[in-house]
Amino acid sequence: MHWINWVVVVVYLVVVVGDSLRRTRGTKNLEGFFLAGRRLPWWAVGLSVMATQLSAITLIGTTGQGSISGLRFVQFYFGLPIAMVLLGVTLVPFLHGAKVYTAYEYLERRFDAKTRSLTSLLFLLSRGMSAGTIIAAPSVVLSAVFGWDLVYCVLLMGIPTVLYTAIGGVEAVAWADVKQMAVVLGSLVAIIVLLTIKLPVPVDEAFRIAGSTGRMRVFDFSFSLTETYTFWSGIIGGTFLMLSYFGTDQSQVQRYLAARTVEEARTSLLMSAYWKIPLQAMILIIGVLVFLFFTFNRAPMLYNPRHDRALREKAPAQYAELESRYTAALSAREQAAREAAQVKGSAPLQAFAEQNARVDSVRTEALAAVTTATGENSRDVNFIVPRLVLEHMPLGFAGLFLAAVIGAAMSAIAAELNSLATASTVDFYRRWYKPDGTDAELLKAGRVATVLWGVFACGVAVKAATLGSLIEVVNRFGSFFYGSILGVFLLAMIKRSNALGAFVGLIAGMSAVAAVSFGAPQVSFLWHNVIGAVVVLVVGMALSFGGKRERAAA
Amino acid sequence: MSQFKSTLVRVLLIQAVTLALLWLLQSRYTA
Repeated sequence: MHWINWVVVVVYLVVVVGDSLRRTRGTKNLEGFFLAGRRLPWWAVGLSVMATQLSAITLIGTTGQGSISGLRFVQFYFGLPIAMVLLGVTLVPFLHGAKVYTAYEYLERRFDAKTRSLTSLLFLLSRGMSAGTIIAAPSVVLSAVFGWDLVYCVLLMGIPTVLYTAIGGVEAVAWADVKQMAVVLGSLVAIIVLLTIKLPVPVDEAFRIAGSTGRMRVFDFSFSLTETYTFWSGIIGGTFLMLSYFGTDQSQVQRYLAARTVEEARTSLLMSAYWKIPLQAMILIIGVLVFLFFTFNRAPMLYNPRHDRALREKAPAQYAELESRYTAALSAREQAAREAAQVKGSAPLQAFAEQNARVDSVRTEALAAVTTATGENSRDVNFIVPRLVLEHMPLGFAGLFLAAVIGAAMSAIAAELNSLATASTVDFYRRWYKPDGTDAELLKAGRVATVLWGVFACGVAVKAATLGSLIEVVNRFGSFFYGSILGVFLLAMIKRSNALGAFVGLIAGMSAVAAVSFGAPQVSFLWHNVIGAVVVLVVGMALSFGGKRERAAA
Repeated sequence: MSQFKSTLVRVLLIQAVTLALLWLLQSRYTA
């Protein structure tokens, strides 16, 4: 990469870390460190919520996803605005009004200490591991693209993030997020403009060509419990997932607890609702433009350079044979695309779709060959956009894009570290060990917890390649309780529900999801949240009301 | 509450416009 690109990256990192620290010199007490003294303006909270969700993998993985399978992925987010509106009128006023540090703290006030500790522990377990995977995904890409050691890539993102999160707390995180969102949005718009300029045919014709491969299809109204990306999975399953995520996950809840008033907390949540679907649609459209770009420019057979080298070295004859078929299929596809752009009618489009299927089939063979040769899952989709940016975009842009990827990773990790530190300090250290701890002691504990979680996350990230199956298990374990925790919070809002109902309901909800997950693995994970929440509500209410009736009868 | 309500109306409007645009995009470019 050219030195000017590196200058852009370094300047960006220095500005983000430096400015965030400068703004938080006043962080002297617990409320300041964990909740920014509850004085953040709504727009900063809103941008911070958006930045937290927009991880590096959204930038490089979702755009790649769009280039391979088109726009239908956007349906996943259809439930988000509904969830935000529901949260705005239900949980947000409850949690903000309760003046708590963590969402789980509220559960002790409403139910008992064991429900609080169990939900907080479940959060720590799953989020601790996921913080590692958030650093690992972009690090693996950077390491393969630049040929650097994975450890350096992890540290490049990990060290500055731990530094500003541990020193400045949530206020530093939020102000860094604001700048990171600006860079991310700027680079997304720039990439759209550049790709449109570089297309050799008008955009209208180009989209018609992409449409012939099904990439412009957005809506799928079929009702299926096994398909994740349909309209109904998005609206129903997606609403429950987003309710769980934004309503009960400390990394999100902590953002709106830091808002000045309930009104501002609600408004900041709705700001996410404003932009999420348009933003995701924009990211996927970039993916489609990338597909079109590589239709008219030579597309690599394997986008991951490390896997390309590995296959070339380990199976040279097979590589050469695949490469020659791939080159032939590519030029036939480009020819078909140019014809389809010139001649109206469905026949040229049909011909393009057939040539595109030929290219896809050779690529599928190549990806299978990589898996056989290296024993690794290829995850080639994550390398499409980095290769495009580094090899085809003008000077300076690669630096901006790299800064955006690092920034997106940093803001997502920072939010996780800060919320992990908050839950460890408030729900465990203060609750069980130092109930009378002074502000200074707890602040120190918060900083130490941030650093420890940072070291843990970096450790998981470095080992992510070998821990692959373990991380999958943890993610699966996470999906067992997401909906169930939402069920407990919903139960908390029902006046007659009690602690026994909440605790047993939580266990029952998680068991039900585990049973569905193992007994009917084909059911999409989006429905797990619905099942978990409903079982907790039904069991919790039955026990609460049953217990009351028994006591009344006695 | 009034700020929330006006934001809510804007959110619903933006979603409706986005979904309509996506629908148009699909109708125009998918056979």
